[in-house]
Amino acid sequence: MYDFEFVKPSTVADAVAALADEDAMALGGGQTLIPTMKQRLASPSKLVSLAGIADLQGVTTGGGSVSVGGATTHATVAAEAGAYPALAALAGDIGDPAVRNRGTIGGSVANNDPSADYPAAALASGATIRTDRREIAADDFFQGMFETALEDGEIITAVDFPIPEAANYQKFKQPASRFALVGVMVAKYPDGVRVAVTGASENGVFRWKEAETALTKDFRTDALMDLDINPLNMISDLHGTGEYRAHLVKVLTKRAVATC
Amino acid sequence: MDLKGSRTIAADRMTVWRALNDAEILKAAIPGCKEMTGNADDGFEATVTQKIGPVKATFKGVVTLSDVIEGESYRISGEGKGGPAGYARGGANVRLDETDGVTTLSYEVDAKVGGKLASLGARLIDGVAKKLADQFFENFQNAVAPRSDDEAPDDDDTGREPEKKKGLIKKMFS
Repeated sequence: MYDFEFVKPSTVADAVAALADEDAMALGGGQTLIPTMKQRLASPSKLVSLAGIADLQGVTTGGGSVSVGGATTHATVAAEAGAYPALAALAGDIGDPAVRNRGTIGGSVANNDPSADYPAAALASGATIRTDRREIAADDFFQGMFETALEDGEIITAVDFPIPEAANYQKFKQPASRFALVGVMVAKYPDGVRVAVTGASENGVFRWKEAETALTKDFRTDALMDLDINPLNMISDLHGTGEYRAHLVKVLTKRAVATC
Repeated sequence: MDLKGSRTIAADRMTVWRALNDAEILKAAIPGCKEMTGNADDGFEATVTQKIGPVKATFKGVVTLSDVIEGESYRISGEGKGGPAGYARGGANVRLDETDGVTTLSYEVDAKVGGKLASLGARLIDGVAKKLADQFFENFQNAVAPRSDDEAPDDDDTGREPEKKKGLIKKMFS
């Protein structure tokens, strides 16, 4: 590592002020940023830890939704988001215990790694991402691999998940990293079914609209029988080809529906 | 990784050709290019900063033009070292065809990275390379002959769904 300034403010306003420096970066649980810095692939002049801000902590349930504070760890969500069981289960299966006890929802969503789990949950749930300055619908928030609607220095204060009638997340793990080789979240709401896919596309998390239409009409695995997803834009790497990932999307979507 | 694509530019072939040899236009088109000096004959020196997720790397290197057939085609290639991050190398074979005052620019891109970038980011490199190539030609097209907003890009396989493509472009030029 190398020299950098470290601050740990106790309010969102102080954190936003501290992030005004050009090379300052917000630090959630550091499960991506710290390894990146150790490899010297990033060299922020200042880290602004969000871990000391009480307002960003914890899970609250009410009004038909589960609201997760931006600096809440995956382990806390797994333990406290019981009102949305599929969300709790997803959080409980992210990475390993170290990642779950340090990593935060805000960090995961803001990073928008194309293989991360939380973006699938947020998109499938039609979640609202709240920041220090506005509210952003999940559909507008995720804009491609590692790209989000966040401005420089904008902090995620909470993610609000409307509670579905039924939901399930199926993840085919890359066994070393436990990232999703492909992950599919299916959530059934009164006004329709949403299907979000992570790990598969080079453009990051996306909604499988054809499957949504089919499942909204008929919420059974048979409804997916004639559907196929184009492997053209899928990630191809040593773990699997684009065709393999496209195949997995369908298999996992069926499993998710069957498990709902 | 390799990718191909083409774009139509509402300008005659020589206009597009001159732009392809213009340091200022290339600088504006290369995503993240902070500095670019030199000329088409001797090559350019460039400083490019890229931020992909948590990774931020600045590459210093050279951009050279080769296999030049005046007004018709060339190869543009760049090679840069990003300090501890590793190195990146990429190029594109570019060809111009004109019909009725409209030029079709076809390209074939190849890219390679090495060092830590390659060992850590293997699953991401293809996607990133596609995105950057797409941005380069999009920027270039806009620098030469800006299009109206609602016209869809016509590149065929740069690897992005039309819907998302629009979002990215809007973001870049808004």
